[in-house]
Amino acid sequence: MTRRVTRRLVDLLVVFLGVTLIIYLMVFALPGDPIAALGGDRPLAPNVVAELRERYHLDEPVLQQYLRYLGGLLQGDLGTTFQGQSVADRMALRWPVTITLALTAWGIEVVLGVLLGLVAGLRAGAVSDRLILAGTVVATSIPVFVLAVSAQLWLGVELAWFPVAGTGEGWPTAYLLPAAVIAVFGLASVARLMRGSVVDTLRTDFVRTLRAKGLRERQVVGVHVLRSSAIPVLTFLAIDLGYLLGGTVVVEGVFNLPGVGQLLFQAIRAHEGPTIVGVSTALILVFLLTNLLVDLLASVLDPRIRHE
Amino acid sequence: MNPRHRRLTGVISAALALAVSLSACGSTAGDDGDDAGASGGSISVAVTDPIQTIPGRQTVAYDLNMAVWSPLTWVDTDGELSYVAAESIESDDATTWTVTLRDGWTFHDGTPVTAQSYVDSWNAVAYGPDAFENSGQLAGIAGYDDLNPAKGEPKTTEMSGLEVTGDLTFTVTLDGPDGQFPMQVSQAQTALYPMPASALEDMDAYNTHPVGNGPFAVVGDYVENEPIETEAYADYQGTAPTVDAISFVPYADATTAYTDVQAGNIDVASVPAARLPQAAADFGDRLHTFEAAGISYLGLPLWDERYQDVRVRQAISMAIDRETIDKVVYGGLYTPATAFTPAVEAGTPEGICGTFCEYDPAAAKALLDSAGGFDGTIDIYYPGGSGLDELYKAIANQLRQNLGVEAVATPSSDWAEFSETRTNGDIDGPFFSRWGALYPSQQNTLRSFFVEGGGCPNCIPYYEDDVADLIAAADAESDPAASAEAYAAVQERILEDFPAPPLFFETYSYVTSERVAELPTSAVGNPTFTAVVLAEGA
Repeated sequence: MTRRVTRRLVDLLVVFLGVTLIIYLMVFALPGDPIAALGGDRPLAPNVVAELRERYHLDEPVLQQYLRYLGGLLQGDLGTTFQGQSVADRMALRWPVTITLALTAWGIEVVLGVLLGLVAGLRAGAVSDRLILAGTVVATSIPVFVLAVSAQLWLGVELAWFPVAGTGEGWPTAYLLPAAVIAVFGLASVARLMRGSVVDTLRTDFVRTLRAKGLRERQVVGVHVLRSSAIPVLTFLAIDLGYLLGGTVVVEGVFNLPGVGQLLFQAIRAHEGPTIVGVSTALILVFLLTNLLVDLLASVLDPRIRHE
Repeated sequence: MNPRHRRLTGVISAALALAVSLSACGSTAGDDGDDAGASGGSISVAVTDPIQTIPGRQTVAYDLNMAVWSPLTWVDTDGELSYVAAESIESDDATTWTVTLRDGWTFHDGTPVTAQSYVDSWNAVAYGPDAFENSGQLAGIAGYDDLNPAKGEPKTTEMSGLEVTGDLTFTVTLDGPDGQFPMQVSQAQTALYPMPASALEDMDAYNTHPVGNGPFAVVGDYVENEPIETEAYADYQGTAPTVDAISFVPYADATTAYTDVQAGNIDVASVPAARLPQAAADFGDRLHTFEAAGISYLGLPLWDERYQDVRVRQAISMAIDRETIDKVVYGGLYTPATAFTPAVEAGTPEGICGTFCEYDPAAAKALLDSAGGFDGTIDIYYPGGSGLDELYKAIANQLRQNLGVEAVATPSSDWAEFSETRTNGDIDGPFFSRWGALYPSQQNTLRSFFVEGGGCPNCIPYYEDDVADLIAAADAESDPAASAEAYAAVQERILEDFPAPPLFFETYSYVTSERVAELPTSAVGNPTFTAVVLAEGA
């Protein structure tokens, strides 16, 4: 176990260096001068542009910029934006929003997805199963943007059950609708995965044995079937949490939630190297860590992996 | 219960508990804009998160700035100039101007607004090494170049053209005669707002807590992504505002703000391009459209020999059906351009463009044929991701149909790419070109487009010495009638060469909630929030 974790952590460092360099090079390769574009279609005076280029070291070769960035990073400095704000501060402002949104969506996925999957799996072939299956197909085929805007217009503007935008009303009110919109896609996958898994587990010998022993059905399903079926679903859920924490540009935009997805989008539009690298690196770390967590969890749940 | 089962539920419930606790720190304590409204006379306005709030630095915080600061002069929708913080601005030769301030004005921190405040602020904004985004607004003042030397550090921190001559008077010497100076210190030229002495000591602190001389004072500190709350400043010496408080709420997406006005959660938002065609249907008389000092052109690559013949340029202009495009793309809210400067700018000779700005496909085709036709493809280039796709596709379609020339419209990946490509002149077809003037004078628009280094590089790559001379001659006039005539003469001269087809006089559109009865504006086309009239019972 320790060896596994150490190896993963070494991987992490290599990935980190590679990714930061690649992203830095890519941002540098983007056409157009971000400083000249800072003022939009009312260009800044040439002397201002020159001064700002010098201040943010954009006049240096890209490798020198990258090394300067890494040097700052070693001292815990994530760099500054072209408007002089600290990237670390900006990220610190936005992580809570994204984490809240992601965990809310994830919670919906876990509870509803597992429940629907369980029901469908136990009644495989029945009407309720087919309805759930059809529902998941529809859910996965609607683009997130369409779903977000329709939900906003219908539930936010028409019925006014939820706030249209912003985090002003706090959790859970402000987060429920956007979280539900994001969760729909993952929820459908969880339900289908869970259903398949339950159907498989019900056919296994050990379930038959349990039933033969006279164990109550509630206990068979509630304890044994649920746990055995949960392993593949859990893997999916953990990876999905990584995605969710990456922030969703579309939903954060539509619901005006100032999370990291939005920050990344704005930074890419502004060609802000330090912000883009900072955010994406954090996202990669989150993703790698959730993956590590999946591995560990799977070995906890599945004795075969643990005793390998 | 099986111990392993307990472990699983433990993991899940721990995750959920974490979700709950984290979200608790993520949310802000119950402070929603619309409750505050009921208590009396406050409005909420959707804005872009400013990041920079300082007048010399902001690029998207005009609304906030115009509430928190007062300009020296004000231009109303009729183009009439009046004084706000200034009592008078006078000159004998249009080069040296004497500004006399009104007595008794204070900043929100209680310190008096003096001539020294203005001079110190302007010097700070113009100081090259600080690279203030809006410092270019001061470029006409004598000594600006000393603070912005081409190489090395400036040897001084003060512009030679500024001199304090009394507590409330100072003189401004310009590089040359400029009769438009009183216009240049009007409401949207924020770099010319005064800052208190404390600001000059710590600009970062000032950005967090802006202190102005205007009708509204900022309450608390500015925090990114959080609404900026302002309340009427009790000691304000100008016209008292009609509301007690304004809340500026940041939205990352203008379409979301628009939807939130529909839901009644926020009072005012500007209409994003994508919503212009449906805004009238969505909001009826709660849609407010203001004439703006902006004009759009179809820029032409005058470095390409195929666009050398003036008849080709005129033909392109006459092949564009501005009325139809306006209806389809802008919901009829724009105005087809008939001159080279926006109609709202005083003295603009509306109609000067004549038949060249009118849709006449047959004449256009004939004109193009007489010029020998067009070789190759008309490849229109415009900034992508800015909601301009429909406009340029429509123009390309019309050129193709009416001129019989293959025409396509290609977007750039983003604004930065477009702006660099245009500035470098690496375009071989027509391109996006617009200018929104910050002070509604023909001078600003003409200078930006037709003077090299005037502000909008290569927007219209037509830089003729005699045009620049005519503009300078018009600048030197201080009598409004005489200057209007002189600027009209510039346009006569430009018409001869017809360097680019003017497309639209722009408007800025806003939608309001039912709480707002009247939304007044000024010559710069944004709402005058200090004079908003609320509906009864709102």
